[in-house]
Amino acid sequence: MTLARHLRLALRAMRRYRLRSAFVMLGTFLGVAALAVVLSVGAAAERRILETVRQIFGASSMVVYAGGGMFRGGPRGPSARLTLDDLAALAQDVPGIEAWDPMQALPSEVRHGDRTVSARVLGHSERYERVWGRAAVQGEHFDAAAVAGSARVALIGRTVARALFGQEDPLGAEVLVGPVACRVVGVLEPFGTDAHGIDRDNEVVVPISTAMRRLMNVDTIRAAKLLVAEGTRVEDAAGAATRLLRERHALGAGQPDDFTVVTAVEVRKRVDGVRRVLFVFLPLVAGITLLAGGVLAASLMLASVNERVAEIGLRGALGARPQDIRGQFLAETAVTTLAGGLGGLAAAAVISRLAAGRMGLDGGLSLTAVVLGLALAAGIGLLAGILPARRAARLPPADALR
Amino acid sequence: MIELRDVERVYRRPGGDTVRALDGVSLRIERGELLAVVGSSGSGKTTLMNVLGLLDRPDRGRYLLDGQDVAGLRVDEQARLRNARIGFVFQAFHLLPRTSALENVELPLLYSDRADTDGRGRRALEAVGLGDRVHHKPSELSGGQQQRVAIARALVNEPDLLLADEPTGNLDAGSAGEVLSLFAALNRDGRTIVIVTHDAAVAAHCRRVARLEDGRIVADEPTARGAESGR
Repeated sequence: MTLARHLRLALRAMRRYRLRSAFVMLGTFLGVAALAVVLSVGAAAERRILETVRQIFGASSMVVYAGGGMFRGGPRGPSARLTLDDLAALAQDVPGIEAWDPMQALPSEVRHGDRTVSARVLGHSERYERVWGRAAVQGEHFDAAAVAGSARVALIGRTVARALFGQEDPLGAEVLVGPVACRVVGVLEPFGTDAHGIDRDNEVVVPISTAMRRLMNVDTIRAAKLLVAEGTRVEDAAGAATRLLRERHALGAGQPDDFTVVTAVEVRKRVDGVRRVLFVFLPLVAGITLLAGGVLAASLMLASVNERVAEIGLRGALGARPQDIRGQFLAETAVTTLAGGLGGLAAAAVISRLAAGRMGLDGGLSLTAVVLGLALAAGIGLLAGILPARRAARLPPADALR
Repeated sequence: MIELRDVERVYRRPGGDTVRALDGVSLRIERGELLAVVGSSGSGKTTLMNVLGLLDRPDRGRYLLDGQDVAGLRVDEQARLRNARIGFVFQAFHLLPRTSALENVELPLLYSDRADTDGRGRRALEAVGLGDRVHHKPSELSGGQQQRVAIARALVNEPDLLLADEPTGNLDAGSAGEVLSLFAALNRDGRTIVIVTHDAAVAAHCRRVARLEDGRIVADEPTARGAESGR
């Protein structure tokens, strides 16, 4: 019998046994849908994480955070004393540091007239744009003199600008950052949502000195980002920075770091950890669903063979060879599960678009998901069909007709 | 056309003892015959039918179909012979449920090598008087109509041998009569027909009757009707 005849027979049988076919399809439908959604959303999430990493670290840089044990979970290390002097020393003594920018941060109310918004207020130096790569789309960044003089100036993010000014031009206007009146000198380039789901446009940037003295009254900084010159390995620079900071903080041999140096390499490692969850464990769970679907399909088809013994005997009497019978049941299982798989992919396309939209990711079905989903559906259909098909083909027609 | 020589078929029961369903049966059937095989249940007549239809293999003896020994053929070759040369009619009709009369009739064409399959199913249905029931499902047809669909299915590949196992067993007297006259008409057109039955009235429609008892043929003679037309 030709493949076309087998397919036609399979479609007829699907029509004849609608309920059973629906259940056989259900298993692969759910499995393929789960797998495709997990893979597609995972791929979108990974793209977003890598994009954020690229935004933060650029080509080659490192970030020094106050406090030990950052990124490692559990309680923070000994209390933080990271100062501007520490950073100045690093910039001078660690080979290959091209530029650096300190960061201090606090949440604060920001007010203009009778409008108020809760925003993250960041202190940075005049090197903010160069080191973090974030320009001003309106106005311009403050200069070194503003930083030296703790000037009362601020750049605001798009969200803050919209909340406080609506359609008005914010440039030159006065905003109250906490108790301090600052003049708006610029609007920050839109960033969007970062990997933590934080709106990075709901920010206000003031000179680091203004943040430390006028707003917080501290002489430490939260973190600093250092650009590493081309030709210097970031890991080497990080190692040198760690040694120097331990020395400056007078840490003994047994004491843990009271700061954390993070490089893109390290973040990549963490991203790989996330990847393992996204692309191994979750797909594994989805795969188990698919496997369960396959077992379901196999058992339903076996039941179907038992139920259709008379039909099998009849076909034998009418001239079907054992391989025709085998082919018939194999094609029936494969076509049914494949149909379920296609349905699953369609559902996954919708679900992953919705899910990605909710998480602020750009979604859609990934090609891997489509190829893998279809291959698995067809493979499971064939595997699930083998046993029932062989049993059907082995029935002697005379016995089957009785 | 058909010659069985000393055919034996022995079944083994689960208990271990054996049943001799066919115990040295020899039978010649000429082309164009209308033969009834009669016997009580357990006499071996269904086994004989299965052997004749290549659905079962004899343990001993020979089965010559047009001079060719077919009992030892491979499964595939037997399937091909069944498809091309033998039509089956069963007591329980064995129509596929939820499938139109036409699709049921066309079933043997699926397994056939012939190219000219177009219109065959419809013509076969017309030949049994069901040209207006082509798209009816079995559940929408009477018992007699269902059996006629089954006969159309048996005829669709134009086999020269028709084997019927209690073809009227599930029918009322009226439908049974229709089916039997259909067989008679088909026989007049030259088809060889073997009907297995326990019903003497059915056997009376045939021209020759072979009686089976305990796997042996104990009588084999023309009926009144056969003797009459033979003259």
